Amino acid sequence: MKGIGHWRGNRLTAAASLLLGAMIGLLSVSAFRGMWEPDPVFPSPWLTRKAMLADYHPALKNTPGDTEVFVFEGGEPGGSLLVTGGVHANEAAGFMAALLLVENLKVEKGKVVVIPRANASAFTHSEPQEGSPQRYGIEVPGGVRSFRLGARLTNPVHQWPDPSLFRTPAGQIVAGAEARNLNRCFPGRPRGSLTEQVAWGILEVIRQEGIGLGIDLHESSPEYPVINAIVFHEKAAEMAAVAQMDLQFEGLDFRLEASPRNLRGLSHREWGDHGGIRALLLETPNPVQGRLKGRPTPELVVTGRDPFYLKAAGLGRLFIPYDTAGAPLSWRVARHLAAVEAILASLEEVEPDLAVAWSGLPEWRAVVEQGVGAFLRPGTGGGPRTDGGGGVAGQAGGGARRPPQPGRP
Amino acid sequence: MSEPLVFFTMALAFVGAAAVGRLPIGISLMAAAVVGGLAGGEGVPVRHLVEGGFGYFDLLLIILSAILFMKVLQAAGVLDSLAAGILRAFHRRKTLLLLASMALVMFPGAITGSSTVAVLTAGPLVAPVLMRLGLGTLKTGALVAMAAVLGMAAPPINILVMIMGGGVDMPYVGVTVPLLLLVVPPALAIPLWLGHRELGAVDSEHLDDILPKSWFGEYGWRLFLPLLLVLGLMASQRFLVRFMPDPGLPVIFLLGSLLGWRSGRSFDFLEVTRQAVKDAMPILAILVGVGMFIQILTLTGGRGWIVVSLLGMPKALLYFAMALGLVAFGGVSSFGSASILGVPFVLALMEKNAILTSTALSLVASLGDLMPPTALAGIFAAQVVGEPSYLKVLRYCLVPAGMVLVWGLVVLLSAETLERILL
Repeated sequence: MKGIGHWRGNRLTAAASLLLGAMIGLLSVSAFRGMWEPDPVFPSPWLTRKAMLADYHPALKNTPGDTEVFVFEGGEPGGSLLVTGGVHANEAAGFMAALLLVENLKVEKGKVVVIPRANASAFTHSEPQEGSPQRYGIEVPGGVRSFRLGARLTNPVHQWPDPSLFRTPAGQIVAGAEARNLNRCFPGRPRGSLTEQVAWGILEVIRQEGIGLGIDLHESSPEYPVINAIVFHEKAAEMAAVAQMDLQFEGLDFRLEASPRNLRGLSHREWGDHGGIRALLLETPNPVQGRLKGRPTPELVVTGRDPFYLKAAGLGRLFIPYDTAGAPLSWRVARHLAAVEAILASLEEVEPDLAVAWSGLPEWRAVVEQGVGAFLRPGTGGGPRTDGGGGVAGQAGGGARRPPQPGRP
Repeated sequence: MSEPLVFFTMALAFVGAAAVGRLPIGISLMAAAVVGGLAGGEGVPVRHLVEGGFGYFDLLLIILSAILFMKVLQAAGVLDSLAAGILRAFHRRKTLLLLASMALVMFPGAITGSSTVAVLTAGPLVAPVLMRLGLGTLKTGALVAMAAVLGMAAPPINILVMIMGGGVDMPYVGVTVPLLLLVVPPALAIPLWLGHRELGAVDSEHLDDILPKSWFGEYGWRLFLPLLLVLGLMASQRFLVRFMPDPGLPVIFLLGSLLGWRSGRSFDFLEVTRQAVKDAMPILAILVGVGMFIQILTLTGGRGWIVVSLLGMPKALLYFAMALGLVAFGGVSSFGSASILGVPFVLALMEKNAILTSTALSLVASLGDLMPPTALAGIFAAQVVGEPSYLKVLRYCLVPAGMVLVWGLVVLLSAETLERILL
C-alpha cells in the first residue's frame, strides 16, 4: 500500500500549504504580540524622578532597549546605589526584587537608582525550545498581577542576526548568540548593537548618577555551581565578606565567589573595572530556567517545586539543598532583599560617608511568610491573562506562604 | 499522562508517521509534536509549535545559502576544474591525498564550528577527486562526513565547548592543546582506514582518462574567485573579528553565489536557485520539525525526564550514559545536546578538570551530527557524493565514529593524568 508520502505536490497543495502557514501565523501572532506591552510599574510615593535609559544614552531613544530608571533621593547626603533586575528576563526573582524596591522604597540618606527591566527587549519574547510560559501571576491585595517571563537574551526581532563568534566589548571571544546577552556586553559600546548600547547606557547611569555601589540581581539553575551566591569585584571584597557573615547570623547561607578576572563582559567585572565602583552580583536558584526541569508551567515560576529537581537533589546533582518545599519565588526574592540590606549595612561599616539608608521595605522574613504579592501595589487588580498557548498563567501565592526556614528553600 | 508516557507517545507517533504513513521526516516530526501537545494535555499549542519551529532559523538560512553556493560552483565549472587540479597534483601520492582531503574538509569546520559548513564548502572539492581515483561513493561520503565532524570539534572554534563552558562559567581559553589531542589521532587514522586500500594511484599516462574537464584555461584564476571570497570572509570572521563586522554566513554564501554566477561557465542562475531550494527543502523541514519536537518535549516535561534519567544512572554507567545520551540527543541537535546534556555531565564530573572534560565531551557530542533523523553531516555528505540514501553513507561511518567515541572516552577517563601532563 502506498503511503501518503508518495503524494506529489501540485499548485493546489502549494496553495493549501501557504494558506495553512498564514493561518498558523495569524493564530499565533496575538500570543507573541501580547509580550510587547510592558507590565505597569507603580512606584512608591517617595520616588524622586523617573527617567529613561535614553536620558543617559540618547541613542536608545525610541528603541526596544530603552527602559525605566527609577531614582530615589534621600534628604541627607550619602552614597549612591544602583540595583538592576531583569538583565536576564527569565530570572524572575531578580526582576521581582527590583520591582519590590521600586514600589516600596523610601530613601532617607543618599541615592538609590533602580532599573528593574535592564534588558527591556528580553522581556518581549520567550526562548525557543524552552517551552516557557509567557506569563505568571502573583496574588496581590484585591486580585492577581500578571508579569511577563522573558528570555535570557535580547529578542532576535530587535537584534539580528547573531555573528558566528562574538567579541565582547571587553575583548573576549564567545559563542555568537552571546551578542544578545546583556551580561556579556558590559561595558558596552556607544555605537554598538542594541544590547551593547543598553550596556553602555547602564555604564552612563553609573557615571552620570555618581554611583558608588552596584548590585545586579540574577538567578541560576539549581545544577549550576555559582548559586545562592554573592559574586564580588575585588573592590567590594571586604563588603561582601562582612555581608556574608551578617547573612549567616540571619540564618541565610550565601557562598562568596570572587569575580574571575579572565571572564569578561559581566556586570560584576566590568562595572568595577570600567565604572570604578564596588560591583556585586547576587544569585538565587530558579528551577524553571534549568535543564532538569519538568513541565515549565507558570506555577513552577512561583512555587519552584519540580519533581525532577527533587529527584536530582536525591542523586546529589544539585548545588543547593532542595526538598519538597521547592524554591518559591517569595523565598528567592526575600534572599535578594536580605542580601541587598546586608551589603548596605556592610557599606556603612566599611565606608560610613558613603552609606545609604532607607525605609519602607519589608523585612525578608515577612516576604517569606506573606508572599511577594503582599508587598506589591494592587495596580489594576486585573485577573490572570492567558499565555497564548491556552494555559492560564495566574498562579497566586503558591508555596509563598510558608513558615520561615532560614537558609533553606 | 506522565512525562515518560508523553515522550514515548511522541516517539511512537514519529515512527508511525515516518515508517508506516511514509510521511517525510520533517512532517513526521511536526505531527509527533502535535500529538505530544495533545497527549500532554496542552491541546494544539500553536504558539509553542511556531516558537520551536523558529529555533533553528539562522541555521536554515545558512544551509539554504550554502546549498545554493555549492550548486553555483558546480554549474560554473569550478568544482570540475578544481578536481582536475588536485588530481594532477596528487594522483601518485594517495596517502598524502587522503590526509590532505581530510584536512581540507576539516578546515572550514574548524574555523566556523559547523560540520554543515565543512561538508558543503569543502566536500564538493575533494569528493570528485577521491571517487575518480577509485574510492567508493559511500566511503567517500563517510570520509567527508567524518572529516566534517572532526572539523567541528577541532580548534580554533569549537562551539560545543563554548556552549558547555558558558554553562559552567569556563572561559574559552586553554582548549587548543586538549582539542588537538582529541582530534588529530582520529583525523590521521580515519582517512587511511577508509581509503588506503581502495584508493588507487594513477600514472600520468592514464590520468587523462579520469580527469574532469577543467575550465581553468578559459577563465583563469577568475574561476576560483567565489571560493576565495567565501573562504576569505569565513576566515575573517575568526581572525579579523576585531576589525570588521561579521556579515554572517548566509550573506557570505550569497555573495559567493552571485560572484560565481559571473566568474565561470554561464548558466541559468534562477534555475540553479530553484534546484537548490528543492534540494534543501526536506532538510529545512527536518530542522523545523526538530525544533517543534524539542519545544513540545520540553513543554510536557519529557526533556527533564530524559536528562534526570541519564544523570541518575549509577556512577559506573555514567560514561555509558554520556556516550549514549550525547550522541543520541545529537540526533535532534548536537548544539542542543551540548547545552542540555553536556553541561550537566561537565558538572557531574566536577572532580575532573573542566577544560579536559568539556573538550572530550565535545568530541563525543560532535558525533551527534551523524545521528538520524537530523544527521546533518551524513545527509549533506550523501548529497555531495550523489547518494540518495544517507543511511548507506552512515553505515560506513559506524567504525570511524566508534573510534572517535572510544578515543573521546579514553581522554575523559584519563583526564587526571592528562591534566598533569598538558595543563
